[in-house]
Amino acid sequence: MIRLFSHFQSSAGKKMVIALTGLGLVVFVVFHMLGNLQLFQGAHALNRYAAFLRDMPILLWTARIGLLCMAVFHIGLAVQLSVRNRRARPVGYLIHRYRQASIASRTMAISGMTLLVFLGFHLLHLTAGVIDPAFSDHLDAEGHRDVYGKVVHAFQNPFMVIIYLAGQVGLGLHLTHAISSSVQTMGFEHAGLSRLLKAFGPVIGLIVVLGNVAIVLAVFLRIVR
Amino acid sequence: MKFTLKIWRQEGPHEPGRFVTYEAHEVSPGMSFLEMLDGVNQRLLGKGEEPVAFEQDCREGICGSCSLVINGIPHGPDQGITTCQLYMRRFCDGADITIEPWRAKAFPILKDLVVDRRGLDRIMQAGGYISVNTGGAVDGNVLLIGKDQAEAAMDAASCIGCGACVAACKNASAMLFVAAKVSHMATLPQGRPERERRVSAMLEAMDREGFGSCSNQYECEAVCPKHISARFIANLNHEYLRAGIVESGRPSEPESPHAESS
Ligand code: HEM
Ligand code: SF4
Ligand code: FES
Repeated sequence: MIRLFSHFQSSAGKKMVIALTGLGLVVFVVFHMLGNLQLFQGAHALNRYAAFLRDMPILLWTARIGLLCMAVFHIGLAVQLSVRNRRARPVGYLIHRYRQASIASRTMAISGMTLLVFLGFHLLHLTAGVIDPAFSDHLDAEGHRDVYGKVVHAFQNPFMVIIYLAGQVGLGLHLTHAISSSVQTMGFEHAGLSRLLKAFGPVIGLIVVLGNVAIVLAVFLRIVR
Repeated sequence: MKFTLKIWRQEGPHEPGRFVTYEAHEVSPGMSFLEMLDGVNQRLLGKGEEPVAFEQDCREGICGSCSLVINGIPHGPDQGITTCQLYMRRFCDGADITIEPWRAKAFPILKDLVVDRRGLDRIMQAGGYISVNTGGAVDGNVLLIGKDQAEAAMDAASCIGCGACVAACKNASAMLFVAAKVSHMATLPQGRPERERRVSAMLEAMDREGFGSCSNQYECEAVCPKHISARFIANLNHEYLRAGIVESGRPSEPESPHAESS
């Protein structure tokens, strides 16, 4: 085990930790999006789902702490490697031409930072209710916290819509490169599957973003009220 | 043909460098890029000026010495060739051409366009070999190696160690080089016994030399004169992960391979 641990001290090993924790976070965003789609089933379904999650405090806090740890390792190591990578070329080129690097892969640090800022905002807004306290403690007819009402209230506000859409741009860009890239980082490749693996990132990224954007826009366009 | 060249000039490792503009006259389309530079240097010598230093040896794409970033691309605009295999007919008459050295912390500039690439040699010294003497070439079919394996090993072995992958990478990472060497040896039976130690030692050496890590952009693959595929980088990661798991079940090795006898 000590050897395995010492492996993670190298830059290639750290990159593997970034990939693994990143994939953990990807699993979370996928289920987060799927869970929230229950908005379209109405207030009853979404509020029951929220209450269901809150009714299991041990599981909820385990998940939260797990996510926090993954985020801390992911972001901490990503920043560390990015700094190290910049230092590996102290004097740059007068002309530098990219030949095949995708836009998403070139903006990982920026899209990651956008995500971090958005994540902070999102947690303060809908989880902690600090940014817009107006709706944080309403109860619905069944006595559950009215998450539905809170979401509808939030996205009727065009400023919130803009912030959330910007966050989704960051998320989409980050995932487009990240998912396919982490397959490579974890050492998996297969001649026959390479196209499929390359398509993984953009496709999953697009599905997550479309799901989230659908919620925001459905409320904003008053399709869900 | 005529060209306007913007070339990086630097007198020594610790001197400040700068771009200097030169005119290249009477260039024939059939001249190679290095022959064109020879012409420029002849004129400079005639005028009593210091010629532009650049590295070259075989001039046929096999030694990996030539190393110029031409208009922002290592080894120039064509794929699958080295600088010495690039011909002037590839450029428009009268074009401006910018020529820079490989740029990386691990490749300090020695003079003008010549960089010190011994970092790659030190990575090889860390583990890019097999310790037993395998003797001369064995008779055919004594050592059975599947065709797929033989071809994969040969593809990886075609790396000439030029360092263009490092020059092209935004992180100045040598992952493609290390991947080629590790995959080459891990694929063949002679390389198997030291498989785990090799990959760990070579990646550690890469970090020590100050190369960056891989962001999976595959710019390296696009400029590699030998078309080494970035799939070998996945293979390198696989070898490394495997080594971590396999080695963690083993008793720790002596510090040096010769420790027992001392
Ligand atoms: C919150 C702030 C975040 C920052 C600052 C950040 C930053 C980064 C950086 C710099 C990389 C390395 C890219 C490279 O080396 O080229 C990376 C990779 C990655 N990120 Fe993030 N990220 C963040 C959040 C997320 C989130 C929320 C997810 C998941 C939804 C995620 C998933 C990934 C994955 C899967 C990789 C791929 C690792 C690989 O290339 O092998 N990241 N991230
Ligand atoms: S992998 Fe290609 S670009 Fe890199 S050193 Fe080998 S031959 Fe040169
Ligand atoms: S001079 Fe030998 S490869 Fe170009």
